[in-house]
Amino acid sequence: MSFFSDAFHLFVRSMKKLVRNPILVFFSLFQPIIFLLLFTQLFSNLGRFISGGTLTYTAFATAGIVLQNAFSSAFQSGTAVVDDIKSGFLAKMLATPVNRSAILFGRLLSDVFRVVAQTVIILVLAFALGVYPATGIIGYLLVIFTVAFFGLAWSGISLALGLKTKSAETVFGIAGAVTFPLLFMSTALVSLGFMPGWMQNVSNFNPISFAVNAIRNPITGCNLDLTVCNIGFDWGTILQAFGVIAGIGIVTLGATLYLFRKVVS
Amino acid sequence: MPGIVDVSQLVKTYGDGTKAVKGITFTVNEGEFFGFLGPNGAGKSTTIKILTTLLQKTSGSASVAGLNVESDAAKIRKIIGVQNQDTVVDEDLTGRENLVLQGQLQQMHGPAIKERVDELLKIVDLTDAADKRAGFYSGGMKKRLDLATTLVHNPKILFLDEPTTGLDPQSRAAIWAYLKRLNEQGITIFITTQYLEEVDRLCRRLAIVDLGEIVAQGTPGDLKQEIGADSISLGFENSSMNGGDVRTKARQVLEKKFDGVSNIVDSDIGLTVYAKNGSYMVPELVRAFDDAHIRLSSIGVSSPTLDDVFLKHTGKRIRVEEVSSANSRGMFGRRRR
Ligand SMILES: Nc1ncnc2c1ncn2[C@@H]1O[C@H](COP(=O)(O)OP(=O)(O)OP(=O)(O)O)[C@@H](O)[C@H]1O
Ligand SMILES: [Mg+2]
Repeated sequence: MSFFSDAFHLFVRSMKKLVRNPILVFFSLFQPIIFLLLFTQLFSNLGRFISGGTLTYTAFATAGIVLQNAFSSAFQSGTAVVDDIKSGFLAKMLATPVNRSAILFGRLLSDVFRVVAQTVIILVLAFALGVYPATGIIGYLLVIFTVAFFGLAWSGISLALGLKTKSAETVFGIAGAVTFPLLFMSTALVSLGFMPGWMQNVSNFNPISFAVNAIRNPITGCNLDLTVCNIGFDWGTILQAFGVIAGIGIVTLGATLYLFRKVVS
Repeated sequence: MPGIVDVSQLVKTYGDGTKAVKGITFTVNEGEFFGFLGPNGAGKSTTIKILTTLLQKTSGSASVAGLNVESDAAKIRKIIGVQNQDTVVDEDLTGRENLVLQGQLQQMHGPAIKERVDELLKIVDLTDAADKRAGFYSGGMKKRLDLATTLVHNPKILFLDEPTTGLDPQSRAAIWAYLKRLNEQGITIFITTQYLEEVDRLCRRLAIVDLGEIVAQGTPGDLKQEIGADSISLGFENSSMNGGDVRTKARQVLEKKFDGVSNIVDSDIGLTVYAKNGSYMVPELVRAFDDAHIRLSSIGVSSPTLDDVFLKHTGKRIRVEEVSSANSRGMFGRRRR
């Protein structure tokens, strides 16, 4: 089937490009790692307020940092597509019998692979800092799965923006503008109870909060409001997050597919 | 017999209202080396994009190898090689990787790709640089690599949009020589270029487009013949002599004694005279000027060139961008991708 082989070859191309431009990986990993090493130290006293002292702040924040990383790396996806459009490489591919959908699928595959690889790096670093997975290896696999799923949906925003505007600057600009507001008004770096009332309301509707909560539970083993911390998997929280991510994914990837068809035809 | 490229009443109007192609009709025969010429903005690239299935036409019909460019697009893509006007190679991949990827996208398989890639690297003289990233290639090397990627799958028809623009003379000559060999092997070549001398030497037929319409087509020989006249350039020894300007006097002589002259224009050194069978006129000209005491310093006859053809049909001289910065982007000018 040419769909799978084409997607695979284009996936390999993307990975080669990524490895040969390590600066891109560096940029998207830099911030999460600084957060993991410094931010968590700066706010280490927060741990006491957040969970009544059962969790260190580092253990709490790891989920948020994992998500932050997925957020920023997925947001680079659209710029790669813009590059291919601008350089004429997309047109060059389109003049061959390559499977059209495979071009998009190969792209998404490499985005997911990249998010997963970066997540593993962060989890290993966190482990070195004393964050042990409360739900064991299964829990971490679940974390990685959730992050991959989130990364896929989030790539969709970036890809759609790139395909619509055909401008890498716009994609970067929008990514930069929304990253911190979305991250800070979510449960990524502080617990819900720690926020002022109005922000709690925002956070409750913020998709980032849903995804973070679903990642945090397997790492910490705590319930949603962090009052009990040996409950194992909190499937209610996890499945709710899957629902939210799927909703986002359908919209963003749907838009991407639609815009891609328009560019390709 | 239908041609390998058949275009009839083809129209393309872009979304912003630009009428790039206004109903052109032409045919390219199988095995032909076909030149598609025209000034900037004439609609050459637009036509190529439609023929290579990259752009949708507005109306009219176009087929390649008997296949409809819209309904049979997938089949067409398997038998054509396409080189864009802008050089397109993936600068993060090596030359070899670029070629291999192209083979994979053309649905070829491992061993066949490897063999073909090695062969092509040799042909375009990139074997030594094969495992260097294309981003480090010079402009000429990138152009050659780009050309090679269009050939991986042994296409029947090559569509080349200015494949030698911006190259130094040696690379240009090498590419034209290679295209000639490909054509001799039976590959049909559809090419746009600004290099009329090469077109004259290599293209069996050509079409000239201007402002979206075909203004002339035929063999280089026929088109030149249509011009009808050779140009005779006359140089005079002293441009002002007693009794008036030498040019005026020479004009009088020409107008009185030579019926075959179709046009006379002033030139830097004297006059340029257009006439049928110019070389046969030379002895008489010399005698007539001698009798009139006009002393010639030089006389030269040249038959019409494609430049004259181009000028006649488009009112413009073809632009030739001289060797651009293409070569100067070496190690340090690598573009980010
Ligand atoms: N995507 C587009 N949208 C609108 N107008 C376009 C587009 N592409 C080309 N044009 C216009 O269509 C006309 C023909 O362009 P085209 O690129 O086909 O010319 P060309 O003959 O290849 O010229 P050149 O020798 O400069 O390459 C030009 O007026 C150009 O500005
Ligand atoms: Mg052009």
